[in-house]
Amino acid sequence: MTNDTLSPEPEAAEVPALRRRSFRLPEEIGVIVALLVMIVVIGVARPRFLNPINLLTILGNTTFEGMLSLGMVFLLAIREIDLSVGWMFNFSAVVAALMMVAGFNPWLAALAGVGFGAVLGLVNGVLAIGLGLPSIIVTLGTYSMFEGLSLVANQGRAVFPTDQSSSFFAFASMKIFRVVPVVGILFVALAIVLHIVLHRTRFGYRVQAVGSNPEAARFAGIPIALVRVQTLVLMGAICGLSGATYVGFRGAIDPQEGADFALIVIAAVIIGGTPLSGGWGTVIGAVVGMLIIQVISSGIIFFGIDATWSTFVTGAVIVLAVALDQIVKRQRERSVSS
Amino acid sequence: MVDSPLVAVRGLRKRYGGVVAVDGMNLTVHRGDVHAVVGENGAGKSTLMKVLAGVVRPDAGEIEFNGVPVVISSPAVARQHGVGIVYQELSLFPQRSVLANLFVNREPLRRGLVSIRAMEERSSDLLNRLGLRFDVHLPVSRLSIGERQLVELARVLLEEPRLLILDEPNSALNERETQRLFDVLRQLNRRGITMLYVSHRLEEVFAICNRITVTRNGRDVSTKDRARLTISEVIEGMIGAPQTALFPPPLPGQSSREPAAVIVKGLSGGALTDVAFTAQSGEVVGFAGLEGSGVATLFGILFGTQKARAGDVTFPDSRGLPRSPTEAARRGIALVPSDRRRNGLMLEKSVLFNMSHVAIGALKDGLPWFDHGTALKRALRQIDRLRIKTRSAGALASELSGGNQQKIVVGKWLEVAPSVILLDDPTRGVDVGAKREIYALIRRVSAGGRIVLFSSTELPELIGLCDRIIVLYHGRIAGEIKGGEIDGPALLHAVNTGEIPQAA
Repeated sequence: MTNDTLSPEPEAAEVPALRRRSFRLPEEIGVIVALLVMIVVIGVARPRFLNPINLLTILGNTTFEGMLSLGMVFLLAIREIDLSVGWMFNFSAVVAALMMVAGFNPWLAALAGVGFGAVLGLVNGVLAIGLGLPSIIVTLGTYSMFEGLSLVANQGRAVFPTDQSSSFFAFASMKIFRVVPVVGILFVALAIVLHIVLHRTRFGYRVQAVGSNPEAARFAGIPIALVRVQTLVLMGAICGLSGATYVGFRGAIDPQEGADFALIVIAAVIIGGTPLSGGWGTVIGAVVGMLIIQVISSGIIFFGIDATWSTFVTGAVIVLAVALDQIVKRQRERSVSS
Repeated sequence: MVDSPLVAVRGLRKRYGGVVAVDGMNLTVHRGDVHAVVGENGAGKSTLMKVLAGVVRPDAGEIEFNGVPVVISSPAVARQHGVGIVYQELSLFPQRSVLANLFVNREPLRRGLVSIRAMEERSSDLLNRLGLRFDVHLPVSRLSIGERQLVELARVLLEEPRLLILDEPNSALNERETQRLFDVLRQLNRRGITMLYVSHRLEEVFAICNRITVTRNGRDVSTKDRARLTISEVIEGMIGAPQTALFPPPLPGQSSREPAAVIVKGLSGGALTDVAFTAQSGEVVGFAGLEGSGVATLFGILFGTQKARAGDVTFPDSRGLPRSPTEAARRGIALVPSDRRRNGLMLEKSVLFNMSHVAIGALKDGLPWFDHGTALKRALRQIDRLRIKTRSAGALASELSGGNQQKIVVGKWLEVAPSVILLDDPTRGVDVGAKREIYALIRRVSAGGRIVLFSSTELPELIGLCDRIIVLYHGRIAGEIKGGEIDGPALLHAVNTGEIPQAA
């Protein structure tokens, strides 16, 4: 409309700003450096740690909780939290495994597990929106509900599909070139997809907008209830995917598996740099955060320290990560205002 | 010591990010005065008061109390120096009792426990003097806004301040409540309390103050006795230019589209009862009314954030009321909310992000991608068209000044070419220059064939900008006035009483 009368200055002023954007270091650089430093320090002291097989095993071990942390990024970004993830994982895995026991095609059963996880997420979403409650309260309740129902379904015993001849089991536990676990690749691929979803899609935009200022989002016409439900359903579906893959990887699902996932998952997301205050999130950061936790617990074993210390160290790292984040933020504010 | 003023401020400076709020402000307050500080929104008067109250640390400048230089590093220090402040926005805890609010953080103790009886004893005398005769155990939320303001005043007076700062204390009060507040203030002044009174309602300033400091763009322009000033002199000082230049003339319609209209019949809901009017494309329809008169409710209902009880509304797409803001946005109904920091912006997000609120966040047409390049183009287009002052499209919304922030809120809606635009007090907290630009923008939008409904708490704005003004009083339409056929005092009277003067 006004393009023809446009004076050249504003254009000229904006172009360098645009360029500066693309040269900016990614937000995740801090945690990535921290992870590399940890690996190097442990590797110098215990060179065996740097064995690619060991490092890839670490990646494989992080897969199942790691996938959940990817979904949790979306929840923190929208200023919500889901405490029931561990039992959504477990319940979906149990349902998938029971279907395999009942003779369904394992691929089909796994797919059903993903769908079942999404349904559990929908339960969380409908309860949170319908009752007008924050998801932390709702999922505190469904945490026990899903645990209880899962225990009813598996009758307190591990579910073990006896016929593991299907290609599903072979695929899930396969290691490419004998070292790279397929589940690790799945984890990384999912992370890349969800990174794009968060930063480059309408849904991701809405998640960040609602988390940044729910009131302003409502007044801009953003369908905030729908976005909340969608986020919780996504979380459930990811739990289902993780659970179904787990059955293929381990060949069984234990009744207590997943009980302690929620806190580790949230810790990984926070270490990765996603703020609890919402409005933004980093999927890549969550992957790195998960790896940091895993490197700590396996590094401790390499040093011959009792493995029970790893829980304490993980907690200390969370406090450290949050403290560093605060310091960096304050520095940035100071440099902006001066 | 006797000669030195109670408070002297020299060369005060304060910046928020890139925005200079106060830039070389001076102020001298003598004992026993009721001293007004007036200025447009954004002139720096509230920042000055916050510095005196220890809420904001200045970047530079000197402050003296009784001739002694002081550093007011915290609200506690300000209190030690005898400064008490009553804020513009109420800072009470609505769920707690009046007593609990009066003694926040300094509850009297007896044997280590909070003593309700001691609170009652210490406050009853003061509350009587203020003419407050309600049950002090009631939660504050049960009081009227006017009573709450007096509770707030009482809370500050219990500290027995030597300097009482009132920052637009009556912005939410009706005429009767304002009179009561002023009676109390005069009484306090007779008892020797010095007052600093911040307002932009000049009639009131002239009614109660004996000395006036005019501020503009973060500086003091002049300080004089009230007796030596007239209202128009003060206005000139505040604006720095003759007032008429503020409002651009109506532009000729440029629209080739079919004329459209919003038709409202018998609309009731919330505070509203039986409201009916028609707004045509190409005209700016103003809505005037006190807080609670129903203007905010009307806009809320038209935008889908509030529900109507009854009534019949037809929008240009010949459909009825939107059921949600999302539906409103998709049907081309825009609302620029009055509280832009809370309802209009994501302050921690970039200008670019904010500019895509509606186009990406609310609409659903097109691809499901959030494309950075498109979003950048969108942001640059509005930055250019609305002359938004920002260092880049990537700058955070919080870094911008109030006027430029408001332009983001307007711009994000212009991106989706709405047919109806509701502007709820769009110039609140915006400096004069940006105001003029926003007025021109409203004219342009209106000439482009959109239907503009405009409400404001500043009556001159309604008179200067609107083709018609609809006055709401207690939720009903009191009457309609053609723009230009009414002056400020008459409109003020109409808004306060619901009586419309007959066209002369």
